Amino acid sequence: MDKRLLPLLPLVTKPARYTNQEVNAQHKNWAEVDVKVALAFPDIYDVGMAHLGFKILYALVNGRQDALAERVYAPWLDMQALMEERKIPLTALESGKELVSFDLVGFTLQHELSYTNILKMLDLAGIPRRSTERNGVQPLIMAGGPSAFNVEPLVDFLDFVVLGEGEEVIHEIIDLVKKGKAAGASRDELLGQLALIDGVYVPKFYKPVYDGEGRFSGLEPLRQDIPGEVKKRVVRDFNSLPYPEEFVVPYVEVIHDRVMAEILRGCTRGCRFCQAGMIYRPVREREPGVLKEQIARLVESTGYEAISLSSLSSGDYGQIGSLVRDLIEQYQPCGISVSLPSLRLDSFGVELAQEIQKARRTGLTFAPEAGTQRLRDVINKNVSDQDLMDVVKSAFAAGWSRIKLYFMIGLPTETEEDLQGIVDLAHQVLAWGREHRTSRRRPEVSISVASFVPKPHTPFQWMAQDSMETLRSKQNFLKERLRHPGIQFNYPRVEESFLEAVFARGDRRLAAVLERAADLGCQFDSWTDCFRFDLWLEAFRAEGIDPKDYANRARDWYEPLPWEHLSCGIDADFLRREWELAQRGATTPDCRWDICSRCGVCPDLRVANALVGRESDG
Amino acid sequence: MGSVIRFQFTKGPEVRYLSHLDLVRTMERAGRRAHLPIAFSQGFTARPLMSFSFPLPVGVLSEAEYGDFAFAADLGPREFVEEYNRHLPRGLKVLKAERLPEKTASLQSIVNAASWKIFLPGASAEEIEERWQHLQTVDSLVVNRETKRGTREINIRPFLYDVSHIENTPAGTVIDCLCGLGTETNIRMEELGVLLGFSHLEATITRTGQFNRVGNSCFPPLGNRG
Repeated sequence: MDKRLLPLLPLVTKPARYTNQEVNAQHKNWAEVDVKVALAFPDIYDVGMAHLGFKILYALVNGRQDALAERVYAPWLDMQALMEERKIPLTALESGKELVSFDLVGFTLQHELSYTNILKMLDLAGIPRRSTERNGVQPLIMAGGPSAFNVEPLVDFLDFVVLGEGEEVIHEIIDLVKKGKAAGASRDELLGQLALIDGVYVPKFYKPVYDGEGRFSGLEPLRQDIPGEVKKRVVRDFNSLPYPEEFVVPYVEVIHDRVMAEILRGCTRGCRFCQAGMIYRPVREREPGVLKEQIARLVESTGYEAISLSSLSSGDYGQIGSLVRDLIEQYQPCGISVSLPSLRLDSFGVELAQEIQKARRTGLTFAPEAGTQRLRDVINKNVSDQDLMDVVKSAFAAGWSRIKLYFMIGLPTETEEDLQGIVDLAHQVLAWGREHRTSRRRPEVSISVASFVPKPHTPFQWMAQDSMETLRSKQNFLKERLRHPGIQFNYPRVEESFLEAVFARGDRRLAAVLERAADLGCQFDSWTDCFRFDLWLEAFRAEGIDPKDYANRARDWYEPLPWEHLSCGIDADFLRREWELAQRGATTPDCRWDICSRCGVCPDLRVANALVGRESDG
Repeated sequence: MGSVIRFQFTKGPEVRYLSHLDLVRTMERAGRRAHLPIAFSQGFTARPLMSFSFPLPVGVLSEAEYGDFAFAADLGPREFVEEYNRHLPRGLKVLKAERLPEKTASLQSIVNAASWKIFLPGASAEEIEERWQHLQTVDSLVVNRETKRGTREINIRPFLYDVSHIENTPAGTVIDCLCGLGTETNIRMEELGVLLGFSHLEATITRTGQFNRVGNSCFPPLGNRG
């Protein structure tokens, strides 16, 4: 760490966030490597340490003789204030070196409400925010992650963007930067070469065009040699992919502080609101033997007391039952627990939960997403009323006492009946609980209701988000009807969902708003206590931009969209087809187990689902 | 058969900002990496049978932290020290260990005093000395202590047992003192600062010993237990 921070440590909360020296942290010799990469997470240590993608990149880059990777997180407000007061710039944890001394600084874009933190981190590092203001001595600022699939609102601040999976392309980037540095290439020459790597997008080589009404009408490549459309990178052989043998073991409590095994990548369930279900295709499952080896190595090197089987939908792993049983048999006697982040909404999901939670059966969480069968068909959440009833009854019968259900409001085609459906379901679940419970604890239902945010690259990408007023009145509708002993009702603020919707489908003009908001002091927007919607509105007003035009306006069918040049392999015609099916309430089956839905990913990216084969009890 | 090992360890500058919970987690994980055969409590929520003496304030160093680990298999103290030290992070180091006889009282039930070394970059030994001379003539100094249950008045004077050494060095002043520790006789570092007239935020404090104090005699939890 940076020695200048030492006198500040007694003055801040959780000082061990900033001290480094954790078990398995890599301290490489700066004099012996050619390319230095800072992995910058736009939130505090406690959140960023959970990010699996950075654990993978950290191991890959540090595994090279000629490169090093270090970690950088946003300091919390108390530390920021002290750093600013004493003019101490943002530094990397391992070496304590300033960000300007790195060759590459890579931000991960996990969600829209982290964008102001990127600007704040650049400010703290003393790096000019805008790509055009940076010169040869500054590091190249890159970004990747799910929100890179519409990175347009951020591109003024980034030098290049990577679409898709980083395991292979990171090496190509480092090789190129190494060669470029040796040859004394200029910043522009480097970017020109980077733009030719598959999956790399260099925004400055594209110019947005707006029509007479000021609507976005397309993006023009400014060079002949670069692609009009940048396609995401995807790893074909998931089993032979290197996986970290060590995780840095934090001292302070962080979220998801455990061994994470990535059991599968991608999801083809095809929920029509879900961006992750579109951009991470195809599905690739890891062989159980490979997983067990990876887990064993990580348990050995970290000493963690818990193992989590991570993925978008771990219950869908073909051999999940035997994998979980084997792991429990091996690790439970040593006091190491096994968990799944999400459960399938069917009887098998409850069976699996029974294996995992032998004791302390308090809460189980499911995500029906919508309150009626009709609306669940519209969003292609293939869960029936019967499934729901079976699952809830068997969960209470098996000893659980609290059921947590996730829903969304503001989904396309939603009516009052669908809202009433959520209410009825909550009361119904409570009644089933009273009837079937075996626990002494009184049954409880927790209802969490998020507001729908239309996301790029989904069948709902053209939809308008409900106005904040409408969403608020829907929340009130639910609140009045869910005021009942045994029912808990939680909902995030509509302002946060609104802002998310603005930036999710934003274009390059939002850069000015982002910058203005950062100037006004907006940061940590996903932290409810820090979210300042008043300042955001002020920023939009000052820049003369109407945020409602981004969030609440339905896009025309063939209107050019600001993210169309950023391809995850999904065919726009598939998305249109899915929207038409949605309107008819027709569902599309999962191509893992049924016919191909012709989403376009496999032919376009020359890939295919790779499954481990299913157990008989799946 | 299993055994219980009591050990003394340091908390160095690399890990001084770990909270007690962070420390326990870290010790537990290092134990697992070292394949120590730590025994678990019975029942559904099995917990490793590890206990420690009273938490060290965050930011304070120590030469004398103590832990008791119960093992499911027999493990010799020397083997334990070697294996464990190989897997503890920098700053945490086991200095010595001993197998405990059965039914030895727990650390928290015997430890009731601690010695501290306080380094003050700015202060002068004369001022501290003067302060200590004065303190020896009074038997009460009441401060407000904030607790989770609110603020209460507390006389902290009786919990400073002795100041054994005050010295001026080129870098600053060093104080060695003995204070109460534990639930009833505890004194906080900021309170010690009030007594002796220093700011605990500017001081470098090291816990140099923990004891079972009987009358005016002090017995460490390891070795000569008295």
